[in-house]
Amino acid sequence: MSTTKDRVYNSFEMAQAQFDRVADFLELDSATRALLRDPLREYSFAIPIRMDDGSSRVFRGFRVQHNDARGPSKGGIRFHPQETMDTVRALGMWMTWKCAVVDIPLGGGKGGVICDPHNLSLREQEQICRGWIRQVASDVGPFKDVPAPDVMTSPQHMLWMLDEFETIHRNRLPGFITGKPVGMGGSLGRKEATGYGVVFTIREALKELGVRPEDTTASVQGFGNVAQYAIELYTQLGGKVVCVSCWDQKDQVSYAYRKASGVDLQELLGVTDRFGGIEQTRAAALDYERLPGDQWIDQDVDILIPSALENQINAETVLRIRPRVKLIAEGANGPTSPEADAVLKDRGIFVIPDFLANAGGVTCSYFEQVQSNMNFFWSRDEVLGKLDLKMTAAFEAVLDVAKTQNIPMRDAAYVIAVDRVAQACRDRGWV
Amino acid sequence: MAKLDPGMGAALPRGVACGGVPPFDRHFFASDRVVSRIGTGALGAKAERLAAMQQILAAELPPGRWRGVELGIPRMVVLATDAYDAFLARNHLDETALAALCTLPDERIAHAFLHASLPADLVGDLRALAEHAHAPLAVRSSSLLEDSLRLPFAGVYQTKMIPNQDPDPGARFQALVEAVKLVYASTFFAAARGYRAAAGVPLSAEKMAVVVQEIVGRRHGDRFYPHLSAVARSYNYYPRPPATPDAGVADLALGLGKTIVEGGRCWSYSPRYPKAPAPFASAAALMHETQNRFWAVNMGPPPAYDPIAETEYLVEATLADAEYDDTLRDLVSSWDAAADRLRPGTGYDGPRVLDFAPLLLLNEYPLNDVVRALLAVCERVLGGAVEIELAATLPVAPGEGMRVGFLQVRPMATPGERVDVGAEEYAQGGLLLRSREAMGNGALDTVRDVVYVRPDRFEPRLTRDVATEVAALNRRLVAEGRPYLLIGFGRWGSSEPWLGPPVQWADVAGAAVIVEAATAGMNVEPSQGAHFFHNLVSLGVLYLTVREGRGDIDWAGLERQPAEGGQALLRHVRLPAPLRVRVDGRSRRGIVAWPEPGQGQGGAA
Repeated sequence: MSTTKDRVYNSFEMAQAQFDRVADFLELDSATRALLRDPLREYSFAIPIRMDDGSSRVFRGFRVQHNDARGPSKGGIRFHPQETMDTVRALGMWMTWKCAVVDIPLGGGKGGVICDPHNLSLREQEQICRGWIRQVASDVGPFKDVPAPDVMTSPQHMLWMLDEFETIHRNRLPGFITGKPVGMGGSLGRKEATGYGVVFTIREALKELGVRPEDTTASVQGFGNVAQYAIELYTQLGGKVVCVSCWDQKDQVSYAYRKASGVDLQELLGVTDRFGGIEQTRAAALDYERLPGDQWIDQDVDILIPSALENQINAETVLRIRPRVKLIAEGANGPTSPEADAVLKDRGIFVIPDFLANAGGVTCSYFEQVQSNMNFFWSRDEVLGKLDLKMTAAFEAVLDVAKTQNIPMRDAAYVIAVDRVAQACRDRGWV
Repeated sequence: MAKLDPGMGAALPRGVACGGVPPFDRHFFASDRVVSRIGTGALGAKAERLAAMQQILAAELPPGRWRGVELGIPRMVVLATDAYDAFLARNHLDETALAALCTLPDERIAHAFLHASLPADLVGDLRALAEHAHAPLAVRSSSLLEDSLRLPFAGVYQTKMIPNQDPDPGARFQALVEAVKLVYASTFFAAARGYRAAAGVPLSAEKMAVVVQEIVGRRHGDRFYPHLSAVARSYNYYPRPPATPDAGVADLALGLGKTIVEGGRCWSYSPRYPKAPAPFASAAALMHETQNRFWAVNMGPPPAYDPIAETEYLVEATLADAEYDDTLRDLVSSWDAAADRLRPGTGYDGPRVLDFAPLLLLNEYPLNDVVRALLAVCERVLGGAVEIELAATLPVAPGEGMRVGFLQVRPMATPGERVDVGAEEYAQGGLLLRSREAMGNGALDTVRDVVYVRPDRFEPRLTRDVATEVAALNRRLVAEGRPYLLIGFGRWGSSEPWLGPPVQWADVAGAAVIVEAATAGMNVEPSQGAHFFHNLVSLGVLYLTVREGRGDIDWAGLERQPAEGGQALLRHVRLPAPLRVRVDGRSRRGIVAWPEPGQGQGGAA
C-alpha cells in the first residue's frame, strides 16, 4: 500500500502546485514564475567510499540551491535510503519560503545522500560526510550555502563536514555549517528550537481562538527532536498530550502510545531504545496503551501536531479527524496534502502551516550562523527570547494577511513568503 | 472602600491579585495600562498591594485632586511566582541542590543563577518588554512573605536598577534577565537565610515574584533620578516635640530612595508639622549633617560588568552635580553666611542645604499634602499603621506638573503590650543599663547572652571589624537558638562606617535587644535606615540608646562575668539566669536588670 502512495505522491510536484496557486494570487509575471518554480542550481554527484570490509561503494549525493536572492542558501542534509532529487528540490523550495516567512536574510536549499545510516558504521558515515563536502566545497560556504543537520544526520555529521570544509579551504569557518555541537560553535537552544517554535505558534493560535492552553489536549505524531520539545513546552504551558506515535525499529512499523491522564515526557524518554523509539513492554508497564501507529490522528483532542513525515494528513486520513480538533500545527514538513487541506478549510480547522510552524529550527540555525560568523555565543535566554519574538511576529504577520485577504493561513504564509522572495529577485534585477 | 488585610503575604482580596491583573501582552508599553503580569501564579505581597492601590488611588485621589499634580503608580510588569518555580524546576534546583548552593558565598550563588536559563515560555515576553520599554527600570523582589506585618523582610532581597537605554535590544534584554536572576538568587543569599532562620520561617514557605517597574525620574546628562524620594510612616517611634507618635514621620532625599532605605542622611520631619524646626544646633551643623550625596541611575558609558552588584548601574553624585543639573531649586536652602541663616531656594549664593524648605516651608508644590493624604488613605485601606514609598519629579518647564509615583505600601507594627517603667524603677540599683531613649515596647526575660563591644579596644575606625565579628557570633547564637543582648558604639546598621557598625539586618537578626552606646566622637543621633528600622520594630527588637546624661551601662559588671567567647573587639558572656528587660514605649525609658541575687549577678549600675 505504501508503495502505491509513494508512486502517487511527488513532493516536488506538490510544492510546485502550491507555488503556482500563490503565483496566480500574486499575479506574478512569467519570468518570476519560471525563476521561482525550479531551483537556481542543482548538484548531483557520486561519493565513492571504502567500506569497513575493504570493498568500495558509491553513494549518490545531492545539493539543491533553490533561491538565494534574500541571502545565502540554507537547508539541511538528509541521509535517507529513499532520497530522490525531487524530494530535495521540494524541500529546498520550502526552505526558501520558510526563511522568507520568518523574515531572516537567507535563501533556501537542501541536500541529501541516498544511504541508510543504520547499516553504516560511524567511520563509513564520516567518509560519506567528507566525500559530500569534497564534491561541493567550492559551491557552498558561510556566505553562499550553509548546510545543517536533517533526517538521520546529527551534530557529529556536521562537525565532520565542517572539518573537511575547513581543511580544504585552509581556514576556520565555523559559520559554514549549523547544528554543530554546543561548545564547537553550536548554539544553545538549537535542539529545542523547532519544537519550541511549533508551540510558540500554537500559543498564539490559541489566543486567536480564545482558548487557554491549559484547557486543551493534543495528539502528536512522532517522537523525534521536534515532537519531544514541542511536548515539553506545550506541557509547560499547561496543555496535556494524550497520544504520541513513534517508529519501532524492531517491528519496522510505527505505534501510537496513548495515556488519557497525559503523557509524561520524561517517563517516555526513560523507556526509549537506542534508536530513540519507545520500547513496547516498558511503556506498557507504565500504563501506556499501544495502538497502531496511524491512530494518533483518530484521537479526540483539541490539537494535532504532526511532527514526523510528509503526507500524513491526506484525502483518506483527514476524514478520521475528530470534530473536537480545532487546531493543527505542522511540526513536520509537508504533512498535509492539498486535498486534505481543502477538507480542513471546509471544517474550519485552524492550520498553522509547516513552513511557519517549524521555522524555529532554521531561525535558530540563522542565530547560530550569526554567532559563528562573529565567533561569539549567546545565552540560551538570548536565543530563545529572540526566537519567540521572531516566531510570534511571523505568526502575527501571517494571521494579519489571512484575515485581511480572507484566505487560509497556509496561503497567507505563502503569499508573504513568495512575495518577499519575488521582490528580492526584482530588486536585484534578475527579473 | 476595599480594605486590605495587613497580615501575611497573601494580603489582598483575591480579585485584586492575579485574577485582577491582566496578562502581559507585547503591546503593553503602547497601551495606557499600568499593571500587567507574566505568569499565572501569585504576584507577591508588594505587587499585589500596588496593583490594588492603583484602583484605590484612582477612586480616592483622582486626577485633579491637587492642581498640577499627577499621582499614580509607575507602569509595572510582575513576573508571578510560577515563573520562579519553573526557573528552579527547569534548572534542577531542587531542595538538595539548593541546600548545597546555600553553603557557598552570595557571589557564587548569584553566578550559579546567572548561568541558569529562564523558562522558555517567559523569555519571549521579557524580550518584548526589553524591546518596548524605554525608561530605566527597577527590578524588585515581591516575595510571598515580604512586607507582611509579622515579617517585613524589608531590604532583605535585592533590587536592581537598570538604565534600559542601550540602542541594542539584546543588551537591554540581557541586563533585564540578569537583574531578574539576581533577585531570584537573593532568595538564597546569607541575609535572607539568616532572616528566615531568625524568624523561624522555612525556605519552602517563600516564593519570589519580581516587579519590573519604570523608574520615576528624569534624565539629566548621564544621570537619571527623581527630584526626591520619600519614605513616610503613619506612626512614629521617634516623635520629636510637638509631634506625637501618631503624627507620623517622613524621610525625604534627593535622588533615588536608596539613600533613605539604607539609612543614609536624609531629611526627617513629621507630616503634621512640616514647618517644625529641625533638631540641629546650627546652620553649620545642618550643612554637615544633611544629605550631600545622592544616588542616580547611570545613563553614561556602560559601567564595568558586574551583574551581581546591586549598584552596577547606579552612580553616586554630589550636590554640586545636582546643582549643575538644576534640580536643587525647589529642594534646598542656601546659607547666607553674612546673616548666618538659611534662605529657602537657590536665589542666594552660598552652600546649599538639602532641607526641602521650598516644599515644606513655602509649599511651592503640595508634596506634604500628597504625603498626608496617601498615608490617610493607606491607613484606612490596610486598617492600621503603614509605611509608604514615593518618588517625585518637579516641573522644569512652565505648564508642567509635579509627578508623584507611588512605589510601595506595607503595614507596620505598632506597640501592643503596655509596659510602664516609672522614675523609681528607672533609678533603681542592680541594673546592667538604663536608657531614656529606648525604642520599642515590651518586657523580656529570656535573654541570658550578652555580646558587647569592648570599650577599651574600640575605635571608630574599627566599625567594619565590629560588623564582621558580630555577624559571626550572631550566626552561632541564631543556630543555637539563643536570643542575646547586643551592645556597641555608634549607630547600628549605618551605611557610613564612621557613624557606627555597618551591619546588615541579617548580621544582628538574633539580637533581642540592641544597645547603641555613645563614645567620644560617636555621639550620633539615634536613627537607622528605613529597612533596618522597620525590621527592628516589626520583629519586636528593643533598641536602647545610651548617651551621656541619658542613661548608663555597668561596664564593670560585664567585665566581671566569665567570658563565654569573643574575638578581638567583642566579648560574649552568658549569665546563669535571664536578664530582666523592660522598655516603656511611651515614656521611652528602658532598663536591663541583672538577674536577681541567687540567680547569678553582676554589679549595680
